[in-house]
Amino acid sequence: MTGATTRIDADILIVGSGITAAMMAAHLSEHSSRAITVVEAGRASTPLSARTTARARYVAYGESPWKHDHLDDQNALGTAWGFSPSMTVGGLAMHWGGVSPRYSPEDFRLQSLYGVGDDWPFTYDELDAFYQEAEERMGVAGEQGPSSLDPRGKPYPLPPLPINYNLAQLQQWAQQAGVAAWSTPSAKNSVARDGRAQCQRCDTCYPVCPTGAKYTPDWTWDALVRDKKITLLTETLVRRLVADPKSGRIVRVTGNRTDAGTIAFEIEAKTVVLAAGFVWSPHLLLLSRDAAHPNGLANRSGLVGRYLAGHRNINAYLRLPLELYPGINMQHSLVSKQFMRPARSSRYLRHDLRIWESTIGREPRLRGDDGALLLGDGMLADWQRRARGATARVRAYYDVLPDRDSKLVLDDTKTNRFGDPMPRLGFRDAPESAALKEWQESELRALFTRMAKAGGGEILRMENSANDLGQEHPAGGCRMGNDPARSVVNAWGRAHDHDNLWVAGAPTQPSASCCNGTLTFAAVGLRTAAAIAKAS
Amino acid sequence: MTDDTNHGANRREFLKSAGILVAAAACAPGSERAEPATVARTPDTRSADFNGPQLTALAETVLPTALGAQGQREAVAAFVAWCDEYEPVAEEMHGYGYADVRYLPPDPVPAWQAQLDGLDVLAHRVHRTSFVGLGVADRSGIVAMATRTARGERLPSPLAASHIAIALLAHWASSPPAWNLALGVTVSPTTCRPLDAASRKPLPLATLPAEDSRS
Repeated sequence: MTGATTRIDADILIVGSGITAAMMAAHLSEHSSRAITVVEAGRASTPLSARTTARARYVAYGESPWKHDHLDDQNALGTAWGFSPSMTVGGLAMHWGGVSPRYSPEDFRLQSLYGVGDDWPFTYDELDAFYQEAEERMGVAGEQGPSSLDPRGKPYPLPPLPINYNLAQLQQWAQQAGVAAWSTPSAKNSVARDGRAQCQRCDTCYPVCPTGAKYTPDWTWDALVRDKKITLLTETLVRRLVADPKSGRIVRVTGNRTDAGTIAFEIEAKTVVLAAGFVWSPHLLLLSRDAAHPNGLANRSGLVGRYLAGHRNINAYLRLPLELYPGINMQHSLVSKQFMRPARSSRYLRHDLRIWESTIGREPRLRGDDGALLLGDGMLADWQRRARGATARVRAYYDVLPDRDSKLVLDDTKTNRFGDPMPRLGFRDAPESAALKEWQESELRALFTRMAKAGGGEILRMENSANDLGQEHPAGGCRMGNDPARSVVNAWGRAHDHDNLWVAGAPTQPSASCCNGTLTFAAVGLRTAAAIAKAS
Repeated sequence: MTDDTNHGANRREFLKSAGILVAAAACAPGSERAEPATVARTPDTRSADFNGPQLTALAETVLPTALGAQGQREAVAAFVAWCDEYEPVAEEMHGYGYADVRYLPPDPVPAWQAQLDGLDVLAHRVHRTSFVGLGVADRSGIVAMATRTARGERLPSPLAASHIAIALLAHWASSPPAWNLALGVTVSPTTCRPLDAASRKPLPLATLPAEDSRS
């Protein structure tokens, strides 16, 4: 480390610049007159003007379209699924798929309804307005599902992405199999909006949309910076929060620039918001241990870094007696929420269901059934024969209840350039989930088999996610609750132990449902932003 | 061995004759709305100096005749451009499911160039003539001998191909026009196309009016 320490004053300091932070900054800029400073350890990645070329290179070579989007020495250990080392302006949502379902009302009352897990400290109905706000800010295109399964206070802001030719056939098949499925809600422009183009089904939503039709947080940051609503400090790694030992208030945050100079900085802020996701938010609290807080900040409960939550999936490929043409819009899908509301009397299994067109079994081959090399006309004839018909993919994320020892810890064997231990993650099912896992997965396999048969089709293969490598759409690590002995933050995201410290979005969630989580992370963050605005 | 040693000039001739400088892998001629994208890197564009006649002969051997001579030339030109624009050991996409940063392989072109020459050596040993001088059936036999250790049923991605014959075929097979040919309709996967057209059944290739394809 070299150079003098840079000192900065801020009213509201937001640590992190991912999608939750972007939503919150936009909300606060409209509902608070206080100055907002946002710090991001990484820097901006590929701008929109370069994304067409970046996408072409991704398609051609598998090259990352996101340049300079991580720090080599700042990474989590022990997990693969659901985590990416992205550390850049916009965070992981720069390369998300844009899939934006809401959780179901049952997610918030698991203990009350099913006697498992924990209830959230608020209900779905209380989050509805913040879901709506997140959908409006991102621009979510969605189709209203059956209201009993898919309740919402207001319509989606954008009309749904169209059910394409392939999905229309699959929707009929699903209906025949007793599954009500509709257009998956997506943060993609079904019509031009907010200066962003209409979707052109380029089919690389994940990892990069070349047109800007898919929402990414850089849109929000660019607008906020352009309009001078916030100050965005990039390449600025917060390494410690410093709390007053008597009052508990966070008096400053300290860290270093991540560019070549690695200059130290201090920021004094009246309000500090950790919006750095389920890894880096609890990591920073644990790193900030001091004499008065030997187990880290906000950790009177001993739960910082614990109850990491997520879900697993069962995935199946089916051959169906239909005629589909893969490639019309492969990243768009059908969704069903009818399995997110099981009867109270049944054993606990909640899952979503998504349906896609698929190329499985229909790709070109190197060798024929006899093992002979396929070249030229022989190869094409074989491919044309195999390409006829239809294959589909179905996948169910199922709810996994987190154990207290599903946790993030500091690993002193791996440090960054400043000597800070990096986080090590290990997911673990709660005992009730562990006991149900085998039965739950067999139920899902049976469901897929029934669906295939109902349509006169067959299962080509089924697979399940590698559960020893983490879980998908992860959350937790700073769980919320009303009891300071059993939670890190209150129902609004305010730390029980530190009056001016807030944790936002994914890390505060007691559970992670059984569907994509980003919209909920953002909605929970917006609820916290509303509380901060009200408190200031 | 062929006596044509001016490989670089031949490569440029391919590009010129095909009317292609650097086309995006996802840019489908005849698609509903082809993208203006290129994969061009700047400024250190490399050059894959394949032996032109040998590569043409290989294309005639591994690519379907349905492409026609012009289509095969275009496929070769696109492959050479793809090789030229490859950035060795660039970062792979590291999205969900990658906790680490991974890198693409080193440049495959030198090995592929050697393999192309190897086909000629093998042709001389087996048939006492050049690879170029053989008919397609005999060339296919040579290619089968040269790729006998290639494993797996599925055609790999070009970068994962263990032999240039497989790489050339795989590169073409990953293109939108190849998928259209296999499906018999114009879907043009991975090209950017109007959203509204997604609801329609794709048009058969044989009856696709040229102008409609760009509407």
